[in-house]
Amino acid sequence: MSDLDRQIEQLKRCEPLKESEVKALCLKAMEILVEESNVQRVDAPVTICGDIHGQFYDMKELFKVGGDCPKTNYMFLGDFVDRGFYSVETFLLLLALKVRYPDRITLIRGNHESRQITQVYGFYDECLRKYGSVSVWRYCTDIFDYLSLSALIENKVFSVHGGLSPAISTLDQIRTIDRKQEVPHDGAMCDLLWSDPEDIVDGWGLSPRGAGFLFGDSVVTSFNHSNNIDYICRAHQLVMEGYKWMFKNQIVTVWSAPNYCYRCGNVAAILELDENLNKQFRVFDAAPQESRGAPAKKPAPDYFL
Amino acid sequence: MNSELRELPAVELSTLPLILKTMSESGIADQMRLTDLILNDQDFFPKLMDVFRICEDLENIDGLHMIFKIVRGIIMLNSPQIFEKIFGDELIMDVIGSLEYDPDISHIQHHRNFLKEHVVFKEAIPIRDPHVLSKIHQTYRVGYLKDVVLARILDEGTVANLNSIIHANNAVVVSLLKDDSTFIQELFARLGSPATSAESKKNLVYFLHEFCSLSKSLQMVQQLRLFRDLMNEGIFDIIADTLQSEDKKIVLTGTDILILFLNQDPNLLRSYVVRQEGIRLLGLLVKGMITDFGEDMHCQFLEILRSLLDSYTLSGAQRDNIIEIFYEKHLGQLIDVITASCPNEEVPSSSGKSSGFGERVDTRNGMKPEILSNICELLCFCVLHHPYRIKCNFLLDNLIEKVLTLTRRKEKYLVVAAVRFVRTILSRHDEHLINHFVKNNLLKPIVDAFVSNGDRYNLLNSAILELFEFIRKVPTLLSPLFSFHLRYVQKYALHIICSMQENLKSLLKYIVDSFWNELVKFEHLTSIQSLKVKYEQCLEQCGAKSTGDILDPRKRNDERALEKEEEDYFNEDSDEEDTASASHTQKPHAQSVSSNGVAAGYPSLSPRSSGLVDYDDDEDDEDYRPPPKKQQETPEADEGNIESLGMKRKLLSKDKERRLGKQSKAREGVFAALCSTLSHAVLPSKKAETAVHATPEDGNEGSIEESHQENDPDILRTCSDNNSTSGEENHKEKDPACPKSCSDCLHSTSENGQMVGDDGPLISPPKSSPEMTVNGS
Repeated sequence: MSDLDRQIEQLKRCEPLKESEVKALCLKAMEILVEESNVQRVDAPVTICGDIHGQFYDMKELFKVGGDCPKTNYMFLGDFVDRGFYSVETFLLLLALKVRYPDRITLIRGNHESRQITQVYGFYDECLRKYGSVSVWRYCTDIFDYLSLSALIENKVFSVHGGLSPAISTLDQIRTIDRKQEVPHDGAMCDLLWSDPEDIVDGWGLSPRGAGFLFGDSVVTSFNHSNNIDYICRAHQLVMEGYKWMFKNQIVTVWSAPNYCYRCGNVAAILELDENLNKQFRVFDAAPQESRGAPAKKPAPDYFL
Repeated sequence: MNSELRELPAVELSTLPLILKTMSESGIADQMRLTDLILNDQDFFPKLMDVFRICEDLENIDGLHMIFKIVRGIIMLNSPQIFEKIFGDELIMDVIGSLEYDPDISHIQHHRNFLKEHVVFKEAIPIRDPHVLSKIHQTYRVGYLKDVVLARILDEGTVANLNSIIHANNAVVVSLLKDDSTFIQELFARLGSPATSAESKKNLVYFLHEFCSLSKSLQMVQQLRLFRDLMNEGIFDIIADTLQSEDKKIVLTGTDILILFLNQDPNLLRSYVVRQEGIRLLGLLVKGMITDFGEDMHCQFLEILRSLLDSYTLSGAQRDNIIEIFYEKHLGQLIDVITASCPNEEVPSSSGKSSGFGERVDTRNGMKPEILSNICELLCFCVLHHPYRIKCNFLLDNLIEKVLTLTRRKEKYLVVAAVRFVRTILSRHDEHLINHFVKNNLLKPIVDAFVSNGDRYNLLNSAILELFEFIRKVPTLLSPLFSFHLRYVQKYALHIICSMQENLKSLLKYIVDSFWNELVKFEHLTSIQSLKVKYEQCLEQCGAKSTGDILDPRKRNDERALEKEEEDYFNEDSDEEDTASASHTQKPHAQSVSSNGVAAGYPSLSPRSSGLVDYDDDEDDEDYRPPPKKQQETPEADEGNIESLGMKRKLLSKDKERRLGKQSKAREGVFAALCSTLSHAVLPSKKAETAVHATPEDGNEGSIEESHQENDPDILRTCSDNNSTSGEENHKEKDPACPKSCSDCLHSTSENGQMVGDDGPLISPPKSSPEMTVNGS
């Protein structure tokens, strides 16, 4: 069994890696991710997953429902970290799977894959707590900069974390974004990760999130038409039913964090596309309490103070 | 039910079910009553623990399960007074013991065994005060309860209370120890003594790290005082020794301590580094950055150096000193690492074909690519923070060319890093540097990298295309900034844009002239095609005009034209927006003009603008230099060395004078003063990076131009940095604390000419949630 396989097994038990292992993993991931496109081509069949937010045990439920990687091809639409208790383990497991099976799993960047946001919503603190220094956070956030911005499944399904941008009318325009940077506060890259579709907006509207835009039916219609795609698949917003179609099935939100923040009471969903792009949503609940195995934190074996 | 909850039954094995029932059935109001009853009954816990020990002896599992539930219930009451009792030395181990019997977990936990047998309390220096010792042990055990024993059970409120117990304990421990002068003296004496064994020194350093890190629990003032005291005791000398240790873990612990200091007050370390004895430390940090730490993480070095070289927070003398030392002694060192690690044979210069990446020479020595990437990142940081200081190295030492040897490395992320470096320099729109690029054919390595990357659509491809787009998208008058009704702002902006256009056009011409034979293969890419189109447009313009200012759109500088353009901007798709969708053009119509006639553009609707010009670098925004209010007596180091204020500038200057006329010039002065005032008001500590010799009245035309060219974008930005008066113009819909805020809109009120907005990226993370995703929470 290779080191990597061993690490994957360890992470599946929700045990974080050593710092040195994280470093090696990140360097390998960097080499793989740098070769990916801003609009990464993905083949069907593939299973699309939305936000995870560090809910490790719920992600294990997800794999139970959707099948293990690499037997099932996966695409994760970002927001792996923050809010949940196990951002470190969650992200490292996904990253290890990416390094182990680069063609079987696609990781797209979400708005939480950012230095600024993770300092506020938990990933930073979690790294500090679990490792005693922020080095792991630093390596992980450096990797975030390499993550692809979107994906295109069989030329027909455009997948992105947030939504559309007024600066982007064709997929080709995404190509000229230098994505290796912290998520900016505005501009195309920001919008892709922050925007939301909104029923009551005609065209573009200001987003209450303070970044990205709200976009309406007409925007999606014209985007899908001019890029010859069937629909857009995105995440970024909690939907109580796990998924939600909007604008006459032109855009779907997929949300994969059940009982979000351990208290929202929602179910989660993943979207399975077969080789002919037939859709099948699979809805699942939060992992039962007792399956939330041993506590992740190993106490320090010695202390001075 | 429990209105008659007056007292708890005496704790006995037989009453456990009743106690449990009482507890589990009590409502919120009863819980307070329950808490009181438990607290008032002095015997409650001793008896409960007696029963626990009996049950354990008798292996009465049912009893143990009940006790588990009772203790858990009591902890969930979340009463600080109860915590005080049960976490006391006499009870805490039994309490933890009782929590080993969780009925929901099939196997029994062995918490006490772990705490007693496996955990080691290390005393680097013997602690004599029993009160301190007791607190130290208690803290560890409470932390263990919270993180291990009860991790899955506790609610947020209880966790918060437990954390505050830990926090308070840490504060007590640290403050008692720091006030114990014999303790501190012994600590430093042993740390500094050559007689101390390596092993015990190691423990002392680990102790010091924990001590410093726990001091976060102190009040800010106390913490500051502690760190100052530690500095006076010589902690930085100790760390400098530590950094020379053979043991990499110890070295990294040393850097962790430095980071704790930097997070608290960067000026302590800075003031040390500029001292004679501190110079060594800076050198060790640079050395650490280029040292191979094997599998250990060592990104701390980069972080520390960045903090030391940060020009925004440094104060004058310190800054100049540190920066000067760094540039004199260490920059070369870093560059040497790059040149030594990159293949240095010339890539065939004449032909379009360069060898493919695969064939390129592999690592020449064992330097880790990670280190090279860190160096490159630090250099980008320097370009943004000391643009004038580093410019000398660029122009005199051929530094850019050396860094660009990174493009010959096989690791693609290093090639990407080199592209990023070039992009960072170009985004400064510095005429000298752009000429330098053209003159020395410095984009060749970039184009070569692009060509040998072929048709692969990867990060490298995108980064270089973005660079080309940046060069092609010469800022135009159609920038949303021109929705301003402040004419002098427009004129200012116009002037800046003119010089940028000149600069970028020369770059554009250079690229197409030199590399089109190679780039033509990529003509199918929109960006490459547009590059050529733009090039041809420029040539046409050149041909059409007979005068010297052919490429110069200054001719547009009359107010009617501006207004016309303003209208055009909002009425049709402009070429600036060629990448934006047609659909979004509705938006500016709807929102661009507010009722009082103040127009507010939405620059995010144009492809990548975020302000006046096409700066897309976030860092760029931070790099602002408020114009000084008055002429400075001594030019700072950052300037001085560049003496090439050419004739062109003088011409430009005269030209500009003619264009703008007297009146606007006076306004300019007012505007500059306003900006300067605003900037000083907002960020008083920030200091002008350069000597600007000019107010508009100044006689030295050359330097007027220089200063304007270099500073104008920043002046505008400075104003936009000021968010304090943003009141009515801000969009109500927007959350002011969110990352974007109204960043890109420069708002204005025509009456008082104040510009407001918020252009800067957040330096500290947003306090309030920029997200409103949670419907249900």
